[in-house]
Amino acid sequence: MKKIVLALAVLWSCIPIANAQENTIKAESYFGDLRARHIGPALMSGRINDMEAHPTNPRIIYAGTAGGGVWKSNDAGATFNPIFDEYCQSIGAVEIDPNDPDKTIYVGTGETWPRNSVSIGDGLYKSSDGGTTWEKMGFEKSERIANIIVNPNNSQEIYVGILGALWSDSEERGVYKTSDGGETWNKILYVDEMTGCADMTMDHNDPNILYASMWEFRRTGWSFNSGGDKSALYKSTDAGKTWNKIHNGFPEGKLGRLAIAVAPSDSNVLYTVIEAEEDSKKGLYRSDDAGASWKQLNNDFGITVRPFYFSRITVDPRNPDVVVKGGLSGSISRDGGKTFKNLGNMHSDIHDVIFDINNSDVMYSGTDGGVYRSWNGGTTFEIVENLPLSQFYHISVDDAEPYNVYGGLQDNGSWYGPSQAGGGVKARDWNSIGGGDGFRVLKHPTKNIIYSEMQGAENVWRYDVNKKLVKTIQPLPTEAYSKLRFNWNAPMAVSKHQPDRFYMGSQYLHKSEDMGNTWEVISPDLTTNDPTKQNQEDSGGLSMDNSGAENHTTIFTIAESPLDENIIWVGTDDGNVQVTRDGGKNWTNTTPNISGLPANTWVYHIEASVHGKGTAYAVFDGHTKGDMKPYAYKTTDYGKSWTNIISDDVEIFARNIQEDYENENLLYLGTEFGLYITLDGGKSWSKFKNNMPSVAVHFIDLQAKTNDLVMGTHGRGVIIIDDISPLREINSKVLSKKLHFFESDPFVMNDNSGAFGNGFGAETQFVGSNGPSGALIKYLLPKRHTFGKMTMEIQDMDGNKIVSLTPGKAKGINIVNWNYTIKNPKVAKGKTFSFGGFTSPRVSAGEYKAVIKKGKETFEHVFEVKNDTDTGLSKADIDMKHKTTMKMYNMTQELAYMVYELDALYEATKGKKAKVANALNELKKTLVVTTGDNYVGSAEPQLREKMADLYAKIAGSYDAPSNAELANLEVIEKRFNNAKSDFKKLKKKTNPEELELKTFDEFINE
Amino acid sequence: MKTSFKLILALIFSLNITTFQAQTAEEIVDNYIENIGGDEAWSAVENMKITGVANQQGVDYPFVATYMKDGRYAIDVDLQGTSFIVEAFDGENSWAMNFQTQKAEASDSETSLNTKNGAQDEIVSPFHNYKDKGYTIELLGKDTWEGSEVFKVKITMTPVMVDGKEEENSEVYYFDTENFVPIASESKVTSGPAKGAMAQTLYSDYQEVDNKYVAYTMTNKFNGNTQLVMNVKSVEFNADIDESIFKMPED
Repeated sequence: MKKIVLALAVLWSCIPIANAQENTIKAESYFGDLRARHIGPALMSGRINDMEAHPTNPRIIYAGTAGGGVWKSNDAGATFNPIFDEYCQSIGAVEIDPNDPDKTIYVGTGETWPRNSVSIGDGLYKSSDGGTTWEKMGFEKSERIANIIVNPNNSQEIYVGILGALWSDSEERGVYKTSDGGETWNKILYVDEMTGCADMTMDHNDPNILYASMWEFRRTGWSFNSGGDKSALYKSTDAGKTWNKIHNGFPEGKLGRLAIAVAPSDSNVLYTVIEAEEDSKKGLYRSDDAGASWKQLNNDFGITVRPFYFSRITVDPRNPDVVVKGGLSGSISRDGGKTFKNLGNMHSDIHDVIFDINNSDVMYSGTDGGVYRSWNGGTTFEIVENLPLSQFYHISVDDAEPYNVYGGLQDNGSWYGPSQAGGGVKARDWNSIGGGDGFRVLKHPTKNIIYSEMQGAENVWRYDVNKKLVKTIQPLPTEAYSKLRFNWNAPMAVSKHQPDRFYMGSQYLHKSEDMGNTWEVISPDLTTNDPTKQNQEDSGGLSMDNSGAENHTTIFTIAESPLDENIIWVGTDDGNVQVTRDGGKNWTNTTPNISGLPANTWVYHIEASVHGKGTAYAVFDGHTKGDMKPYAYKTTDYGKSWTNIISDDVEIFARNIQEDYENENLLYLGTEFGLYITLDGGKSWSKFKNNMPSVAVHFIDLQAKTNDLVMGTHGRGVIIIDDISPLREINSKVLSKKLHFFESDPFVMNDNSGAFGNGFGAETQFVGSNGPSGALIKYLLPKRHTFGKMTMEIQDMDGNKIVSLTPGKAKGINIVNWNYTIKNPKVAKGKTFSFGGFTSPRVSAGEYKAVIKKGKETFEHVFEVKNDTDTGLSKADIDMKHKTTMKMYNMTQELAYMVYELDALYEATKGKKAKVANALNELKKTLVVTTGDNYVGSAEPQLREKMADLYAKIAGSYDAPSNAELANLEVIEKRFNNAKSDFKKLKKKTNPEELELKTFDEFINE
Repeated sequence: MKTSFKLILALIFSLNITTFQAQTAEEIVDNYIENIGGDEAWSAVENMKITGVANQQGVDYPFVATYMKDGRYAIDVDLQGTSFIVEAFDGENSWAMNFQTQKAEASDSETSLNTKNGAQDEIVSPFHNYKDKGYTIELLGKDTWEGSEVFKVKITMTPVMVDGKEEENSEVYYFDTENFVPIASESKVTSGPAKGAMAQTLYSDYQEVDNKYVAYTMTNKFNGNTQLVMNVKSVEFNADIDESIFKMPED
């Protein structure tokens, strides 16, 4: 029976028609129709960690992404779809079981290119049905999984290489093996709690031979170390029972990250990339005797650059001398590793490259800017256009209609784009607004000016959008403040009170009253100023890596109170929550007043409340110290006391909180594994899952006019939950009702439409969904409606039915969308379709009732519908349009009934009164088309077609009918009157009373 | 004989006691079949004729869908007074009308084959006689669907052919733990750019017809958007059917 739904769906695409517990309420049961929508962008995509090819079907490719989950392509990379949304979105490795490649997939979570902004994983997952469902296979504390290898002769035998924790000691790392399909695991290679498995491979011709590289590494909030005595390359020839170092030919001293690859076509040929103490000894090494000895072949920049970030070697499956190495640009050698050239132009930072299983000309590359494909062996690359993996650090919104979303991306600059657009939010709707790594982007509160920045505030741009003028305005050192420490993700803020005011934070708070032209320092050093955390030039370990990403003891968040411009909150990356109540003259560090918070925990966000001058929220993130617990606190007394507002429901660390502007108990929490919502001020939290992946939510904003919750995610772009206002009304009283209608503001019948030609070129592009339009009738059902009838009607205030709608039946919030139209008119039956007849006219502005009948009970809700004032139409124009539309609507139905009668009379008279029948038939030919088809074989349009087309033209226009339209209407009306008169005459020659004809009303409403 | 709605509710209430004991997929499906009328009643259905109104983007389309026990079916939509067959299956081949010419055209051979393989699933659901059809079921656990507690049961049916390759054909059904009827199902889009993405069907307004319960409202959703709603007006079992409707017209 379900077939009907699917079958009908295909057809319509052708038609061109215009639990309440004590004090706590678990919100998750009531989210109902509230649903996240994704608007991308995808044009710059986001970071890819691991690419994986299906071993026998070249159409199937998987991409394991840094922050956006696992995506599968069924068309050799033309398009991808996500298959892992419910789970941790930071992916280390994807592996297809070669013995069951269509069904069995393993995903190891946790990115393995551990930059400062890297997320964390939560274990190993398996799908046995091609990615539809997943089960967790353990390793919850592994944090990042580098490799998974299934024995090609035995699916029960699986090796997992775990890189492990980045920010802390951990014993859950090294190489693990199962021989029973994952029931039990043995740790078969382990060095110590600082050293993990960075790369692992198996001899393609002998599953007993394994290679694994172990890497000693550690990151803190202010430094990174790669390398040590423990890093080494190991080989096992007995399926992992014993391991031996294979360093013959390796440089002396400490080693860093090592990559390892075996040529699939020659098991003796091995490649490794070595991070060594001496620069001259770094680079690519090759073994031609399966690791017994090594020889250095190349140490070009492209091979040695940033080993922690680029350490992947891929060997052409068919040629042992063709080697590809990830890197800033990516490198390819066709002489066995002696010399390299850059891969073709694509987004920089290439993390993984794979070859098509049958054709080495076809390559797939995973970069900081998405997946690229090459058809010519790596010379030119094209980007995959439907991977919305953008990694936002921060977002903000403006008050335009529709509002715009602004934000900065990891390695992909700064952008703004509309929250909705005609035909959906497409790549071309986004505007670039800054280079480098992008972070905070803020719109000037009143002028068409945008502030954006790049890493470490190296540049802070002020962009005049109208004049296209750019100026850099970052605070610079002065005699009094000779050294400024800016965070990699430097904070900026605008003021609700003074539109031209602009704040920046280094270790000091800088304030400008003239949009960044002049700066004033309005605080002392607000950080701990701990010198041991300020040695970034020593960062990197064996390969110096002073990118600025580790700058520490800096201000990270600034919040001016929306209620009082003299109250400013500042949070620092080393744990201080500072507040001033006099515009910066005096500052108080309130952190000592917080209990239960480990010292020096990063203050990720402070939200100054609209509910009270002394009220603020602070979110702390300890993950860079290995502390994965969430911390959020609330104060109502300027930080004199802080209350914990996190419950056990929240599974992982948080970065951001957004308060609701109306209901103080309603809060939104952005965590590393998705969005949480509380209805009770933090006593209990519920994870929001409706189309919301378990993605890291770095920043949340609430658009004040639309009540849209807008999230900047670090891996899935911008995600919006449209109008969260129903959540404000959910409380135990409402939940005790059988049905509760939510309040609604008047709905405006928008007349603006999308631009033309929106679909051009977008076939393989990601297109962001638009929010709903129309009158949204929202109500809450405390319990799902499953049995019996439940109906919904829109009625006028006199109780006359306007239209029937299908009500939602879900437990929780239901949203029914009414597009302000009545039923489309009943159209005369012809040989072909009259497309104009599929148009439904809109109702007049005014009050209407939504009436729901559920069983024997009736529930009503009155709401108002308004006209769109942007059209500039007078009331007389609007009335004229409506009157004319309805006149033609009625004419269309009248004609339909006339043709119905005529057909019946024709059937009754043919063979009996040939002349009359013939006349009826001739008349009919002038009323509707009786030949042809719906395309190029269409017949000359007759009265029905002309009438319906004009009706659709007038009904579909925003404007009052034009003189041309009215003149045309006259012609049609005249013709119709003549036809009616002719029909009347012919009717007299028949005996209609002998026929059982339906009445007009019966015919129309059947 | 007409079972009163209250009686059925009482029956469901009594079954509720077994809710938390029902641990196997088999028990859940048995309860489901029992609660919608039982195997005997459904096995006696020779044909099923559904009359209703489909709605898309606010526009209503009356339809009549006719299903035969042997798998033949036809879905006939009234478009501006004209009959339009959106899909039909004659037992071997499926066909549909072309929208431009309003003439019947045969479906491609893969579609016909896939239709034939699933033709036995239309009257009740794939779960009816699933063992005889060679299908397998698996309980994926308890979950919530739109706030309601559900049993998540996966059914794997005859594989489908997609672009020349055989692929797994499975759906996940969400059975309300209170009454064991499905309130939703999810299936993978098998072809096109959205291949692999999940499409949802929601079931509600179960009503009794000749001692059998049928979902009177079905809603098809994709990516959060309602694609189509089907509201049933009447269901007729073992009606007089003109069997010529399943055959593709020669013209």
